[in-house]
Amino acid sequence: MTVLKRIKENLFLAIVVLAYIIMFVMNPAMGTESIKNSGYYIKEMLMIMPVIFVLTALLDTWVPKEKIMRYLGKDAGAKGVFLSFVVGSISAGPIYAAFPMCVMLHRKGASIRNLVIILSSWAVIKVPMLLNEAKFLGPKFMAVRWVLTVFAILIFSWISAKIIQDEDLPGEVLAQPGLHINRDACMGCSLCAKSYPALFEMIGKKAAIKANEPQSLDVEKLQSAMDACPVHAIQYSQE
Amino acid sequence: MPMLRGETLELIALKMLAPGKWVTYEGRIYMDVFTLAIWVGTLIFLGVSFIRDKTKTKQSLKMALGMGKGMVASILSIIFAIGLILTLLPPMEIASFVGKQSVLLATVVAALFGTITLVPAFIAFPLVGTLVGAGVSVVPAVAFLTTLTMVGVVTFPLEKKEFGVKFTAVRNGLSFLFAIVIALVMGVMI
Repeated sequence: MTVLKRIKENLFLAIVVLAYIIMFVMNPAMGTESIKNSGYYIKEMLMIMPVIFVLTALLDTWVPKEKIMRYLGKDAGAKGVFLSFVVGSISAGPIYAAFPMCVMLHRKGASIRNLVIILSSWAVIKVPMLLNEAKFLGPKFMAVRWVLTVFAILIFSWISAKIIQDEDLPGEVLAQPGLHINRDACMGCSLCAKSYPALFEMIGKKAAIKANEPQSLDVEKLQSAMDACPVHAIQYSQE
Repeated sequence: MPMLRGETLELIALKMLAPGKWVTYEGRIYMDVFTLAIWVGTLIFLGVSFIRDKTKTKQSLKMALGMGKGMVASILSIIFAIGLILTLLPPMEIASFVGKQSVLLATVVAALFGTITLVPAFIAFPLVGTLVGAGVSVVPAVAFLTTLTMVGVVTFPLEKKEFGVKFTAVRNGLSFLFAIVIALVMGVMI
């Protein structure tokens, strides 16, 4: 793979690296300060991300699709909305910590509306934040902002669900006969290539089916590769 | 070191230059209780899962590792981008700038600033508390608080990767609009 392609796939990372290089050349003191500023966020990430990944994977393994659909799906109604607020409010960590959890929930049938509620409440109405807010800005300020924010989330999550369809999210490939890899969803962990090297390979940081597929599919191996995929990007159905 | 309303901006600035101290000072107490609860809960879950099905549990851990690997580059970009933004646009300077503007301009600037960065709540609240204490209207303060955490330019690439462009654009756009609405309504109510 070419360097250019790699940069294109990680454009944001490339921009950040470039900005740091420029900064260190122009003003080394500011560069060091930027790195120092990042220190807190690194700590914050290390404190929360490992446990979020493990929790997401465990929930993915043990909670059946029907349950998620019943409690957070399109037909869950007010119960689903309430539950989404609870999930978001008792969480910890910055908004990006909610991403893997929400991706998993959506794949298992949570509705767009509830996804938006979880993400938004994860960001703004966490309990520890509210305590801090009451302390520095007064309980009345906190309470009014909390009520208004909950209302706002209720309204714009409803609007979002009107605009966004399930198909707009990656990982929603219609079942077609044969073997498929959703390359938009694939994040290049290479677990499939490791568990079934005869069938899968990594091309440009994404999984692909080898051009010279083996004559007979080892269904067991394929199943283990499919189960191992963190984003369930591999789909297989017999013709 | 407790922080009171009405402390000078300079003093907060000094404290913000030593973020390590901030972490041990506030926030951490609350944050740790919640984060700790998630850790403890997950470890118990992991133990139960391991007893019930070893292979499934191992598979889950592999999956977790895969997820981590898939996200680590994006998360590090976000973190270092925030570090950079905080250096180029120090919250203190933005705050004192906002304090001198008309309410309308201040609200827009505060909301935009909240959008491009992510500041931990335990820095944001005292900062906003000081601003409001110093007589700045609550409207820009609230706009800042809401966009700060809910709307993200730095998290946009990752969110786009995980949820698609449309979802990310709609969620962030609506969050921004409603942040301003919340701010305006609060300006009337408080």
